[in-house]
Amino acid sequence: MKLKVVSKILDANERIAQENRKIFDDKKIFVINLMSSPGAGKTSLLEQTIKGLKDFAKIGVIEGDITGTDDAIRIDALNVPVVQINTGGGCHLDASMIQETLMELPIDDINLLFIENVGNLVCPAEFYLGEDIKAMVLSITEGHDKPLKYPMMFQQSKAVVINKIDLAPYLDVDMEKIRRDILSLNPTVAKFEISCKTGQGINQWTEWIKTNCLCRKH
Amino acid sequence: MHEASIALSLLEKVIEECINNGCSIIKSVKIEIGRASGVMPDALSFVFNAIKADTIASSASLYINEKMLTAMCNKCHKEFSTEENYIFECPHCNSNSFNILSGKELNIIELEVE
Repeated sequence: MKLKVVSKILDANERIAQENRKIFDDKKIFVINLMSSPGAGKTSLLEQTIKGLKDFAKIGVIEGDITGTDDAIRIDALNVPVVQINTGGGCHLDASMIQETLMELPIDDINLLFIENVGNLVCPAEFYLGEDIKAMVLSITEGHDKPLKYPMMFQQSKAVVINKIDLAPYLDVDMEKIRRDILSLNPTVAKFEISCKTGQGINQWTEWIKTNCLCRKH
Repeated sequence: MHEASIALSLLEKVIEECINNGCSIIKSVKIEIGRASGVMPDALSFVFNAIKADTIASSASLYINEKMLTAMCNKCHKEFSTEENYIFECPHCNSNSFNILSGKELNIIELEVE
């Protein structure tokens, strides 16, 4: 016998993500799913962001990595609640991993949650976790060809943070091409050019979070 | 290789559907995958066929219907489609602003069960 089904293959993930979404809304937590390739500077950006926003927001962090706790240790040093997820080889976080982790976070005392996804420019964009927005980091050492090579993540992000701009004088990187290609993929994206090392541009990024994220759930 | 977790979700979902309908064997599974879903049909088939052993889907054939990417331009309001996995601009007016109409699908369409 034939059964007409018509349901989403990722139904289970979608359902759990919606449950996460409801928890975040009930608790008035704004959630940013932070994605990039490995080494682009997600954790460095979080460190800078926490320093810039700690007087304005009650921040929590979920760290996703294949293995290890290096990132969680760095965030813990800033006295912010953090939980590390190890995917054990998995290339992305999914909604159930987040749901299990929420129980370990003091969610009544958080209003801005960062989920640092596994370093990977492809798969994390496919899995909705229940977040309010996706944001991504592109470091200029990765090369100016990356937006057009990995378009999906750039198209899905509300904000793109271009990191390591202090290195621009030493690289053969075409900054104009990066800017142009990002805007062609995503005309309404918020774009920031920063250096986590020197602190340049961090202020614009944290101000944007204050205006666009923190105000949204109060 | 996120096709592995997608194949696992697919297998769990079709087994659940089969059992819920009072059946015990899955003969075939028909799904649709959009060109812009980020999923490689060959990789998904490979994993599905590897993990279906020792389940009620062990003899199930997987049929994949690929869906083209179509979009509506926000500037000239014309609809267009492409064989590519991504759209960068409207082919009629070169605008970068468009809404994707299809091509993101990752759906189960039909099961053949006994």
